[in-house]
Amino acid sequence: MTPVLLSLSVGLTATLISLPPGIAVAWIIERTRIPGRGLLHAAVLLPLVLPPVVTGYLLLRLFSPRGALGGMLASAGMPVAFSWLGAVVAAAVVGFPLVVLSITLAMKGIDPRFETVSRSLGRSGWSTFWRVTLPLTWPGILAGSVLAFARGLGEFGATIILAGRIEGQTETIPLAVYAALEAPGGEERIGTLIGASVAICLACVFAARALDTWHRRRLELAR
Amino acid sequence: MKFEVEARVLRRSGFSLEATFACDAASVGIVGPSGSGKSTLLDILAGVESGGRVVLDGRDVSRVKLHRRRVGYVTQDPLLFPHLDVRRNLAYAPGAEGVEDVAGALGIANLLDRMPRHLSGGERRRAALARAIASKPELLLLDEPFAGLDERRRREAMSLLDQARRRFGLPMVLVSHFAEEVIALTDWAVRLETGRVAAAGPSASVLRAGETQIDNFFLATVVSPGLVRCGHVELHAMVPESASGDVRLGCYAHDVLLATGEPQGISARNVIWTMATAVEAAGDAVLVSIATPPVRALVTREAAERLDISAGKRLVAILKATSIAYLGPA
Repeated sequence: MTPVLLSLSVGLTATLISLPPGIAVAWIIERTRIPGRGLLHAAVLLPLVLPPVVTGYLLLRLFSPRGALGGMLASAGMPVAFSWLGAVVAAAVVGFPLVVLSITLAMKGIDPRFETVSRSLGRSGWSTFWRVTLPLTWPGILAGSVLAFARGLGEFGATIILAGRIEGQTETIPLAVYAALEAPGGEERIGTLIGASVAICLACVFAARALDTWHRRRLELAR
Repeated sequence: MKFEVEARVLRRSGFSLEATFACDAASVGIVGPSGSGKSTLLDILAGVESGGRVVLDGRDVSRVKLHRRRVGYVTQDPLLFPHLDVRRNLAYAPGAEGVEDVAGALGIANLLDRMPRHLSGGERRRAALARAIASKPELLLLDEPFAGLDERRRREAMSLLDQARRRFGLPMVLVSHFAEEVIALTDWAVRLETGRVAAAGPSASVLRAGETQIDNFFLATVVSPGLVRCGHVELHAMVPESASGDVRLGCYAHDVLLATGEPQGISARNVIWTMATAVEAAGDAVLVSIATPPVRALVTREAAERLDISAGKRLVAILKATSIAYLGPA
C-alpha cells in the first residue's frame, strides 16, 4: 500500500476501534457515580500528555511477542509489534483521549432530565441510552472521530517504536516523509505526501468544527 | 386512587422533607411556597428520587424502579426529545397507544409531524402532556405544567388537561402555586410549608383556610423580559417573554421577607427599601402591608416584635424573582 492509503486505512481502523470503548468511558465519566472516575479520566488523558515515543515504548512492552498479551495475540495470528496492527494500535491509543474528550463534552451538554423523562416513560437505562443519550451525543461522537482520525494520520513517535517502518505495512505518511528526508534528494519526492496530509487534515478540522456548531445549535434550539 | 405517602428526604443543604398524607381521590394537588418541597414530593411519587414509602391503591411501589412505575411524569420544562418529531415523541413509551387520539384531545393533532424546536411554548407543554398520557400511565404527575403561560393559554391548557384526564380515566397529582388551578383541577390537596404538611383535605377548604393562595396581587409595567417597573422600583419577576405593557403579578404573603437593613450576599434578586403601611394580626402571625411593591408580608408575631415593626417603619423587602408569578395582562 502507498503511504497515503496506508495512513487512511490505519487512521480509519484506529478510529473505529476506539469508538465503542470511548463512548463507554465517556458515559462512565459523565453519567455515573462510580468511585475512581477521576482516576479513569486522568488515565484516559495520559496519551495526550505523554511524549508519543514513551507511549510507543510502553505499548511495545505490552505487545512484545515475548510479553503475555503480545505473545497471546501473536500465537493467535495477530502479531501487534512491527505490523500493520501495531500502527493501528499506536494511532488508536494516541487518538483515544480526543474521542473521550469530545464525547464527554457532548454528553455534558445534554440535560440529564431527558434521560429521567425517558425512564419515566417506561424505557430502561439501556434503552434510554440507545434512544436518547446516544442520538443526542452523535455530533460529539462524529467530532471526536474526526479529530482522532486526523491525529492517527499524523502519528509518528508511538508508531515508529511499536510498528517500525516497514514499507507497505507500517510506513504511513509521516514515516515516509521522515525516511525520504533522510535519503539524498528525498525532498523532491515528498511534495505529494505533504500536500495529501495537509488536505486531509484541513478537511478533518473543518468537518469537526461544522459538526460542533451544528450540535450546539440543535441543542440550544431544543430547549 | 388511594394514596398513602410517607416522604422523607434530608439534603446536604439542610433542607428536609417529612411529609405524610393519605387520601382516596381521583386528583390531588400539592401546593405551597417555593422551596417548600413540592417538586421533591412529586419526584418521590414518581420514583425519580427515593425517600420514604409510597403506596398506591394498596401496592407499595417504593422500591419499583422509575421505568416500571408507569407514571406520566411531566416537569415544568416540557423536555420533548429534540431529535424526534412530535409523533415519535408521543409514541416514545414502549406501550404507547392512541397517539392520534391523545394528540386530538390536547389540540396538537396538526403538529404531529413537526420537530419540537418549531413549536411554541404552549404547544410544547401540551405535547409533553400528550406524551405522558399516551404512555398509558397509571398515574399522571404534573409539576407546574402551565407555569409561564399567559392567562388565556393557561386556561385553555387547564381545560384540555381536565377533559383529557377524565376521558382517559387517569388519576393525577398536580403541583402548582396557583390556588385557582388546584381548586379547579383537584379534589384533594396537600399544603406544604418548609418540608412539612401544613394542611391537607378537600382542595377548596385547604386553599381557603390557609395563606397559601396567591394573596398579593399588584400591577406593573414590563420593562424587558424578566424585569418590570412597579411605582418607582424595578422588580425581577417570572414574566414570560411574550408579555408586554401593563401586567398583573402575584406572590404569596409568606414569600415576602422583611429586614431592617440590606442583607449581604443573598440570592434573592429583589431587595427593596420600603415602608410598612399597616400591621394586622392573622392568627398566630402578622400581616405587614408595605408601600412598594404594594404587597403584604406574612411574618410570625415574634419576628414582628423582634424587628419592631409598626406602621411607618422603614424596612427592606426581599423577594425572589421566582416568587413573583405572572398572572396575565392588566
